Amino acid sequence: MKNKSACISIGIICVVLATAMTIQIRTMQKENSAVSQAFANSELKDSLLEWKEKSDNAEDNLEKSIARLEEVRKASTSNDNSSAEKQEELKKYNQLLGITDVQGEGIVITVTDSAQDNTAMDLNNLIVHDSDLRSLVNELANAGAEAISINDERIVSTTAITCAGNVILINGNKVGSPFEIKAIGNQESLYGAITRAGGYAYALKARSVQVDAKKSNNVEIAKYTGALTQKYMGNNN
Amino acid sequence: MMIIAIIAGCVLGIIIGFLAPTIPYTVSQYLAIAIVAALDSVFGGIASNIKKNFDMKVFISGFFVNAILAMLLTYLGEKLNVDIYLAAIIVFVGRMFNNLGIIRRYYLSKISERREKAEKKAKNK
Repeated sequence: MKNKSACISIGIICVVLATAMTIQIRTMQKENSAVSQAFANSELKDSLLEWKEKSDNAEDNLEKSIARLEEVRKASTSNDNSSAEKQEELKKYNQLLGITDVQGEGIVITVTDSAQDNTAMDLNNLIVHDSDLRSLVNELANAGAEAISINDERIVSTTAITCAGNVILINGNKVGSPFEIKAIGNQESLYGAITRAGGYAYALKARSVQVDAKKSNNVEIAKYTGALTQKYMGNNN
Repeated sequence: MMIIAIIAGCVLGIIIGFLAPTIPYTVSQYLAIAIVAALDSVFGGIASNIKKNFDMKVFISGFFVNAILAMLLTYLGEKLNVDIYLAAIIVFVGRMFNNLGIIRRYYLSKISERREKAEKKAKNK
């Protein structure tokens, strides 16, 4: 009798044990097959994909709306002299805002993480950080750049450059090394700002980060793809 | 009898485990500790059954209290940033080896007894 109860209770614990083990092994397999970091659970990943799709859809819609707006604008101003002037003005302001594709003379800088595999050095010094990009953008803006983009992410008035783990977020979009920084402006002064001794690019090179600046007569910079919103601000009359 | 119970339990458990949903990663370390506690309980149960002092209450309460204490230690360790759960694992695994030793000795002596009996029978004939 006693032996029987022992068998039953040990059997029950065995059921619990085997169940727990199977669940654990399956969980671990699932975690290992995932691309992202280990602690991000699958629910988060699912919602991320969902939001990504939504954001892509929204971007498509925005693109269409902008095209339509352009059409309407053209139609309404096609047979009017004063509106043609306005149209011209509008184009100019849009260019300044960064919501149109632009081209002109300037430079293209390629910044790449260090190729060195020297473990004796601080790894933090070998990679390109968000602060490095901010400083380079500052240097370019200071040298009179009219339009700047990093990996086709246009730098506009609302742009934030932030760190997000092993990637950098610009305008909320992920970019990674190598970074191609394009700037339109006076070629000589831009090139000088990047190559001058004691400048930020100089300091980057000292950290063995690869900085390669090239002059170009035809730099093409893509427009800002996000939305510029105006919800809280108004004219100060 | 005991072996049948263990095998049946394991098969049933594996089937349930495949049907059950997987758990979040953060909970899985607590489950791992519970698994080690359950393994310890199974070995302890078999050993005490062999020693003929198996007590249902001691067995069941031992499993739950050990598992809960180990999980609490894991939680505390997480808060204090010390891997205290390692201590629980060391104790559990140490006990497992102890109990395994008892089980092993029991079956070894059983086998040698049987052999002696067989030899005696052969001599008597």
